[in-house]
Amino acid sequence: MAWRNLGRNRVRTALAALGIVIGVMAIASLGMAGVALQQQASSNLGGLTNQVTISPGQDSPEDGITDEQVEEIRSIVTDAKVIAQKTNDTTVTSRGQEAHVSVTGLTQASALYDVSAGESPERFQSGALLTNSTAQALGLELGDPIEYDGQLYRIRGLIDSSSGFGPGGFGELVLPLSALSDQQYYDSVTIVAADGDAATDIAANLETYFNQDGRNEEEILSISSYASVQQNINSFMNTLELALLGIGSISLFVASVAILNVMLMSTIERRGEIGVLRAVGIRRGEVLRMILTEAAFLGTLGGLIGALCSLGVGLALFNVLTGDPWLVFQWESSRYLVYGMAFAISASVLSGLYPAWKAANESPVEALRG
Amino acid sequence: MSVIELDDVVKRYESGAETITALKGVDFHADRGEMVTVVGPSGSGKSTMLNLIGLLDAPTNGSVYLDGQDVTDFTEDQRTEERRSELGFVFQEFHLLPMLTAVENVELPSMWDTSVDRHDRAIDLLQRVGLGDRLQHTPQQLSGGQKQRVAIARSLINKPDILLADEPTGNLDQDTGRTILEEMRRLKDEENIAIVSITHDEQLETYSDRVVRLVDGVIQS
Ligand SMILES: Nc1ncnc2c1ncn2[C@@H]1O[C@H](COP(=O)(O)OP(=O)(O)O)[C@@H](O)[C@H]1O
Repeated sequence: MAWRNLGRNRVRTALAALGIVIGVMAIASLGMAGVALQQQASSNLGGLTNQVTISPGQDSPEDGITDEQVEEIRSIVTDAKVIAQKTNDTTVTSRGQEAHVSVTGLTQASALYDVSAGESPERFQSGALLTNSTAQALGLELGDPIEYDGQLYRIRGLIDSSSGFGPGGFGELVLPLSALSDQQYYDSVTIVAADGDAATDIAANLETYFNQDGRNEEEILSISSYASVQQNINSFMNTLELALLGIGSISLFVASVAILNVMLMSTIERRGEIGVLRAVGIRRGEVLRMILTEAAFLGTLGGLIGALCSLGVGLALFNVLTGDPWLVFQWESSRYLVYGMAFAISASVLSGLYPAWKAANESPVEALRG
Repeated sequence: MSVIELDDVVKRYESGAETITALKGVDFHADRGEMVTVVGPSGSGKSTMLNLIGLLDAPTNGSVYLDGQDVTDFTEDQRTEERRSELGFVFQEFHLLPMLTAVENVELPSMWDTSVDRHDRAIDLLQRVGLGDRLQHTPQQLSGGQKQRVAIARSLINKPDILLADEPTGNLDQDTGRTILEEMRRLKDEENIAIVSITHDEQLETYSDRVVRLVDGVIQS
């Protein structure tokens, strides 16, 4: 019955439904866009969020990080891996091909480097790791020798080039610390903590220890953790998401006003008819229910179409931003479809309430007089 | 005992500063199996009287009895229940719902009531008014006379005691009007109900058991 009432004025019904479709699409698509952006941002940071990176600060008396400072760091940070590194760069040649690479010397490779072939040793005292793409360019394979500073190192592992930030496109040669023993100071220290929160705590402790000498603020060491970057991104994303949802809600509010208008028009138009219903003994509650059902139908119809369209938008968004369109179905983003639908139906019923109440309570005599 | 009774009924309308007394102390009754017609010039108070008999409105003074029960001070919801179970309405403009078929229009008064199934009775009534082959037609596909037959079937769906008709032949040509009136008389006897009509139509008087003349809110005997 409600369905057929809606069918009587198809253009008007379609317009009202269109309003809801747009409202739902605004809410659901914007919400999913927020989730997709957030996931893209955190996947770019990769596994780096539990790391703290330390480099010499601008107020450092030495041109690097000293052995004593590394020891102090080790004594403060007891529950995470502390990996001190010396870095350099060089050009390696093999079979007539050359490649410029950055060189990192450290004693422990496994925590920082993922290898696609070979091994990433826990205790790193001999051999070398090389970025996979560089190895390919040079025609080198596992077990081949590579020369640095007059010494030959056997390649033990090929670094997965896509892991982490890395010096993009730039090859990396990882050697035991002893290979760079002629450099007096360390260039950086990487701390690998259990998770992002632990990394943030460690960064704060070190900051207090090294850079706050009494009331003076100096930057002896530059301490950065990606966890705080991640947190910044998260809070920015949350704000963005709220803003997007706000815009979506406004459009749904506009849609509700459109439904209110449509329902009001159609009840005014059917005034006499509703009078007849009341005259033949249809109860006020039944008239109310009939009109609310119409509004709910309208909301469900618009909500369903809107959710379907948003799903399409979501698939496209996730495809572009994260490369995997099916991620849209994870609850974190698909819940916005449910929110959109729920919002559409409740907004429709709410805005149907006044016209329904008005129609149900009109005196049948007045309604029949026209 | 009369199935409907008005006792010294007064109805006043207050519109702004003006007060119109549409009924000035009307006594009226109708019995089962009786067809009563109220006639009178335009503005004499016929519609007002029908609204009171039909429990669509309450009188300013006086009492209304339905089946001996005083319904004068019933609330709107109580009156709705009585209209649903005891009264049937037929209007000059038929007032069928355009998006429903003939059967659905007949079932309309009990459409929301899941406790009763009136489908068989709806078909039976439509067959009895000669529309057995028009069950699934919409009002648009029916002639005026056929629409009024559907409306009559609808008014009888809940087995009322009284059928109220407001100019039932007003929108029909003479011949069609006559057959509708014959139909109403026959159904009145079959269902043992009272029919109260209001009209200008002289023709209606010849089909009535009793004619009541209303002039200026007063019954002329
Ligand atoms: N709802 C109303 N408000 C104000 N005046 C009304 C109303 N209904 C009827 N009247 C007045 O009451 C009088 C009787 O009207 P009505 O019962 O419609 O007469 P009839 O049906 O015989 O033409 C008329 O003067 C009319 O203007």
